[in-house]
Amino acid sequence: MTDDSLIIYEEEINQIDALISKMLKGAEAKCALLVDKDGHLITRQGFTHSLDTTALAALLAGSFASTKEIARLVGEPEFSVLFHQGKKDNIHMSLVGERSILVVIFDDRTTIGMVRLYARETSIELAKIFEKIQEKSGHQEETGLSHDFTSQAEDKLDDIFQD
Amino acid sequence: MVSINYSSREVCCKIVYYGPGLSGKTTNLLYVHSKVPSNTRGKMISLATEADRTLYFDFLPINIGTINGFAAKFQLYTVPGQVYYNATRKLVLRGVDGVVFVADSQPDKMDENIESLLNLEENLQEYGYNLEELPMVIQYNKRDLPGVLSLEQLNAKLNVKGRPFYEASATLGNGVFDTLKMIIKMVLEKAKSNSRSKPKPVTATPVAPPTSFTSEAINKPVSESAPKSPEPSSATLSREHVLASAPSTPVSTPSEKVGAVASAAVPKVKEEQSIGGSSAEVNYRPYPGSEKQQAKEVDTPKTSFTSQSQEYGDNNTVEEKQTGQEIDNSEFKQPDLSLPKVIPAMKHRHEKKRGFFKRLFGIK
Repeated sequence: MTDDSLIIYEEEINQIDALISKMLKGAEAKCALLVDKDGHLITRQGFTHSLDTTALAALLAGSFASTKEIARLVGEPEFSVLFHQGKKDNIHMSLVGERSILVVIFDDRTTIGMVRLYARETSIELAKIFEKIQEKSGHQEETGLSHDFTSQAEDKLDDIFQD
Repeated sequence: MVSINYSSREVCCKIVYYGPGLSGKTTNLLYVHSKVPSNTRGKMISLATEADRTLYFDFLPINIGTINGFAAKFQLYTVPGQVYYNATRKLVLRGVDGVVFVADSQPDKMDENIESLLNLEENLQEYGYNLEELPMVIQYNKRDLPGVLSLEQLNAKLNVKGRPFYEASATLGNGVFDTLKMIIKMVLEKAKSNSRSKPKPVTATPVAPPTSFTSEAINKPVSESAPKSPEPSSATLSREHVLASAPSTPVSTPSEKVGAVASAAVPKVKEEQSIGGSSAEVNYRPYPGSEKQQAKEVDTPKTSFTSQSQEYGDNNTVEEKQTGQEIDNSEFKQPDLSLPKVIPAMKHRHEKKRGFFKRLFGIK
């Protein structure tokens, strides 16, 4: 529920973005997304303008969740790496800590080995940052939403949702 | 779980439409998709079968715009309503912030409604959620059909807790937006009330005096309980911790009810359980020590076969039961190398033979 809301501040996002950019450069991949297991997009790097990243995040999280169930049925706790191979583009997904997924989209300019190598290193680094975020949110419970947030949202809703 | 990103200044919430099969969950989303301005909504994704039955989920992102500097985004999901899709239905509930329970108002669908509601509670409990604290709105759909149950009858069975409810006809669009507005308000209220202490984040907006949650805007009868303030103890135990421990708990109950997706694995799992004994976990490679120790006590022929080589000399109880004969221990320990003893019947045959030759040659 909202008890463990994922609150990410600018400082951490900058660190995460820097790490992912470095990985993209090293692995020569097209773009990368960092997705929450619940389907929320945390951040994105690279050539993502042509992609519907919101939908992509939801579907990737769904794909990962269903694979987790498959893993459980065959006696594994979780599959930490997933790979989808296409004719042109490929997707490499790897688990970051407990609650996030690093998604790397790449084409034939690089190899799966390179992507896997860089993604593994980056996942470890990202997991450390997420640990810090978790610790921070343990101390700081303020969500930052102002108290008239709901009432302002109500006005917006009335404007948008009209039969 | 509300996701707040201070870098991109976004608040993202997940709302799930839950309910029995063919109650109108996808129709709700389709109506929202068709009526909301195109700059407000994203692309609707439907993972459905060829017969347009939801297989995994439908997904519709909505961005209601910037409020106090934050872009408020809502992700609307539906679940597959059919009973045997429980495995995927449960996955969609992960990280849910609010639930819209879409009930079918027709009298013959009441049992399915109740079953779905119980299933919702069960699935939420597996994630460590408490249905009491989760924002939830009930939508009584298909009110345009003749012979539907009255609101009193529906409330008596499906809304014992007195949650907000709406009459709707998703195909015509009646009540769809009322339901959505209500759940969004409840989710935001819950997200706001979750903030306990006052330290301001680096880029947070100024904190205004609290405004109480009002329900005047709703034109339908609403009896809503105010959101409870979270208990201090819950801060120490995050849901992720509960989730992390979830796979290690026995999986027998969910896996038996999972239906089509899990059914292929069920026979093998059960077989392993019957041999392995106490553990309900799926163990394809039993640990040598514990399994064999337990196998001694089991009197099935299969088990005795596997354990025969181990306990050949010292414990032959299993073999006795298998063959149904009594076997002397000493015969196994010290095999008898002497010549076989002549049994009385053989003796008699030898005597008879000797008598025949005596008679033939006239020997006396």
